[in-house]
Amino acid sequence: MSALTNRLMLAAALALAAIYLFPLYWMYVTSLKTQSSIFAVPPEFLPGTPQWQNYVTIWELANIPRFMGNSLFIAVGVTAITGLFGAGCAYVLARYRNVWIDAALFTILMLQVLPPSLMVTPIFVGFSWAGLLEYPRIAAILAISAKTMPFFVILCRAAFMTVPRELEEAALVDGNSRAGAFFMIVLPLARNGILISALLVFMQGFGEYVYSASIIADNRLQPASIGMTNYLQPNQVNWNAIMAFAATYVTPILAAFVLLQRQIVNGLTAGALK
Amino acid sequence: MTPQIELVDVQKHYGSFHALKDINLTVPKGQFVALVGPSGCGKSTLLRSIAGLERISGGTLRIEAQVVNDLPPRKRDLAMVFQSYALYPHMSVRDNLTYALRLNGVSKAERAKAAEEVAGVIGLEDLLDRKPRELSGGQRQRVAMGRAIIREPKAFLFDEPLSNLDAALRVRMRKEVRALHDRIGATSVYVTHDQIEAMTMADHVVVLRAGVIEQQGAPMELYDRPANRFVAGFIGSPAMNFVPGALTGAGTVRLELPGSPEIGVEMGGEAGRAVTVGLRPEHLIVGREEGAKIPVTIGAVEQTGSSCYLFTEGDPEVLVTTEGTSAIRAGDAVSLHVAPGHVHLFDPKTGLTLRG
Repeated sequence: MSALTNRLMLAAALALAAIYLFPLYWMYVTSLKTQSSIFAVPPEFLPGTPQWQNYVTIWELANIPRFMGNSLFIAVGVTAITGLFGAGCAYVLARYRNVWIDAALFTILMLQVLPPSLMVTPIFVGFSWAGLLEYPRIAAILAISAKTMPFFVILCRAAFMTVPRELEEAALVDGNSRAGAFFMIVLPLARNGILISALLVFMQGFGEYVYSASIIADNRLQPASIGMTNYLQPNQVNWNAIMAFAATYVTPILAAFVLLQRQIVNGLTAGALK
Repeated sequence: MTPQIELVDVQKHYGSFHALKDINLTVPKGQFVALVGPSGCGKSTLLRSIAGLERISGGTLRIEAQVVNDLPPRKRDLAMVFQSYALYPHMSVRDNLTYALRLNGVSKAERAKAAEEVAGVIGLEDLLDRKPRELSGGQRQRVAMGRAIIREPKAFLFDEPLSNLDAALRVRMRKEVRALHDRIGATSVYVTHDQIEAMTMADHVVVLRAGVIEQQGAPMELYDRPANRFVAGFIGSPAMNFVPGALTGAGTVRLELPGSPEIGVEMGGEAGRAVTVGLRPEHLIVGREEGAKIPVTIGAVEQTGSSCYLFTEGDPEVLVTTEGTSAIRAGDAVSLHVAPGHVHLFDPKTGLTLRG
């Protein structure tokens, strides 16, 4: 490829990135503006004097620690359940090949297709009948896990498939039991893929909205994704407060992504290339 | 003396597929046995069954007189070298070598000592702290060997361990593996599709086809007295020529080649009986004036320097090898002579060897 085409491609990539990232930028900028400058015409692309106190106000006023704590609780719960059950499932699906495995894989992919807004009603009815709504955060964790599980299993399966079967057999001959070979050979070799998949599940759990909104009625138990919407009222919208809340909410996730982006890309493409 | 490994009427089924049929094999202590056959013949399945990676469907498998049919691999005390070497990529060479010892609860100091010792034997003292990905193919192969010998197991199982090496290294490793076997007094079962590897390394060669042992014996026995046409064609390189013919009843066989030449055989038999005549390329001699003559025209000539391959025209094509270089060119008419006592006769239907 010539140097010119290279540059054109780079320019196109930057332009697309700018379009994708603009809302993020606008969120940060708006969170630092005064109420009046938000609606200024022409729009201000840089805040005049950054209104840092927006963050201080929202931190205290909106119970951010409580909401973030609930989000964290749900995300950790979802990751733990998904990781614990999903890894074993993915391993079996990676190691055996027959009609039943194919059927199971197809079913799992189908589950992934179902949107939460469709699933939430039957799940709500089922949980209500089972008495699970008494423990709304646990119920939300279970519901969200059902959504993240197929996603995790598919990704994890790819990670396990990169571990050659002969390594496991070598371990068996060397004196490992089946379980020993899994924990000492297979798991360490698939570790990166599993961790990355778990991280993605964690982020899904951290930002989840639909199930939490339907299942968790008690304001004190709601995660940040719902807490934020308290600032969207029919008649007045406190934009800079919402944006400051949103910025506080997504910055940890963004930071994790930026720090781990290389590993995430490697983990996702594991097995695609030899 | 009890055999180290003994298989009696071993069967293996995969669903309706009968992968191993009535396998009977005895491996005495210290012997080097090669399992050889075309791909899909069941030789790897047989090896994996001995290792315990496959469960046999019938028969008895004994290791040191103990029935191990239902024992998992870890309780059989065998070491296996895989075709891909199967080195653990997340461990150093040292940890790879001593993994089995670690699982057996050997102390760290003893493990370190064993690793040094084995590294000396396989010549990898300087590479103990490397990861497998930092090694060349030949070095990885050595680590795989080292991982097997460090355990002093009841037997070594090799699954085509040399097939990933280049030709020159393969020839060298062939000798080294055999030398190692002799030095440590091991018992080895070695799977290969390369009959030359089997012939050069093994004390006892087992030829498999479609899950059945076609013949087993010492390498030269298989070469000189093949039990059937398949073994005759499989053992020996280049492969034996097969020419249709008929017995004359007078101690000769008439070949179905232009000129209907007759060659002497040590067999009477009923006159006119159809047979398949097997002639090894190296037992055909060009243009000497004694013995039975087969007039042929040469269709193609391949010279390798050390030997010369002559292919005759017509059907069936007959291959003749001569040592050194040859002045014969394509299109030349020559006569072939058969070295006495080197004519093999097979039943055309069953493929079994006919003996007089």
